[in-house]
Amino acid sequence: MTIASDRRVVITGMGAVGPHGLGAEALWRRLREGRGMIAPLRHPDGERLRTKIAAQVPAETDLAAGIDERTLPLLDRVSMMALGAAREAIGQSGLDFTNDGLGLRTAVIIGSGVGGDSTHDEQSRRLYAENATRTHPFTIVRLMLNAPASQISIAWGLRGPTFAVASACASTNHAVIQAAQMIRSGMADVAITGGTEACISYSALRAWEAMRVLADDTCRPFSANRRGLVLGEGAGVFVLESMERAQARGAIILAELAGGGMSADASDIVMPSAEGATTAMRQALAEAGLDPQDVDYVNAHGTGTAANDATETRAIRLAFGEHADRLAVSSTKSMHGHALGASGALELVAAIGALRDGVVPPTMNLDQPDPQCDLDYVPGTAREMPVRAVLSNSFAFGGLNAVLALRRAP
Amino acid sequence: MTDSVQQQVFEIIAKQAKLDVSSVQPESTLKDLGVASLEVIETIFDIEEHFDITLPEQENADFNAETVQSLVDAVQKALDDKAAAGNGNDA
Repeated sequence: MTIASDRRVVITGMGAVGPHGLGAEALWRRLREGRGMIAPLRHPDGERLRTKIAAQVPAETDLAAGIDERTLPLLDRVSMMALGAAREAIGQSGLDFTNDGLGLRTAVIIGSGVGGDSTHDEQSRRLYAENATRTHPFTIVRLMLNAPASQISIAWGLRGPTFAVASACASTNHAVIQAAQMIRSGMADVAITGGTEACISYSALRAWEAMRVLADDTCRPFSANRRGLVLGEGAGVFVLESMERAQARGAIILAELAGGGMSADASDIVMPSAEGATTAMRQALAEAGLDPQDVDYVNAHGTGTAANDATETRAIRLAFGEHADRLAVSSTKSMHGHALGASGALELVAAIGALRDGVVPPTMNLDQPDPQCDLDYVPGTAREMPVRAVLSNSFAFGGLNAVLALRRAP
Repeated sequence: MTDSVQQQVFEIIAKQAKLDVSSVQPESTLKDLGVASLEVIETIFDIEEHFDITLPEQENADFNAETVQSLVDAVQKALDDKAAAGNGNDA
């Protein structure tokens, strides 16, 4: 199946906020240099917590930069990060939404797993620990899951279809696929899409501790000594438009968003299924018109948990057959941690970087081969190689899978 | 005392597995008893709450496959550590 050029979707802007600070290019540089961003946990209640490490946005990063002073009190951290990433992406795209009514035809679709978690946590503390009888009057507008999408819409006057997409750790990829479909269907001319997550709160950390999936040393995807995931946070926002439109206005195309695949395991609420993941990868290839052998790199979900990494390896083998042994597969979560609903967004920056520069970012901390994880994970050092097409995998609790297929810009 | 810890752990497991406590044997694994995935985590949570202890994180990956006796041993060790740390009452 091939898609007509007016319905081919390209990416013309990207922005990121993450454990490196601000900027998609800065994040990509860190990833290709194999520089980890997992650090000692910074939290006022850190002493009481079992969790000692995380991949947090650095304390010195100015998340308020560029945000209108009167808007700031309305924002949870999750929206501040989304606005920062959106500003960078929109700036790079060169689009002016006031021109020719473009704002009316621009969609905003932003994924997040939990939304304004620190607001929820703080206000609950006031109520239950301090016996306050009032919460802050902006509690609802800060914590609602659609706040990041709405704030982007308001900041740039974007009046097209605008909403949040929630599918836990696959939220970004589901949002991006939805955004691409809107452009293909003609429902929008431009889409601002991506994901954001800021959930390193006391209550969320306690909840993750109780699930017993957090690593206490670092994130070691596909390594036999892997001990779990490391929580991260951040946001990534992208500008999508049709290839025809981008070419007509002479925009710099970062990559083609060639296809997407989505599926549900319909089995266990947390244990992943190879079949569900394989189905999503196959659909992404089919929609993009790619054969398995056209793909050079898979940015894996690669959480560093016992279950994900072995199952994902099996799924990649099922989807790619013999070509699986010629693929480069890496998990950049080994460096930027697991930003949950935003993880697909940080990983999309890596996928675009790989296509554009012909460099596959490494899997760090993989020091003990696991017989159940037998692909080429590009351990330790980035690899320069031609990268024609990439899959980016996201699999979520709840058994939800969303995979993006990207092709190098024409 | 040890028997009583074992008995209490077995009862928590039997409740989770919806089995009669007599079917829980020291050499059973949680997997044998049909306790899988999130139920394992919930069982460990129930045990921690019941004894007011924290079971070590690193053994988690094996709770599923190891015998019920090893879980009892881990509980006993956590109780001993708590007692050694001083007054267990306000731990």
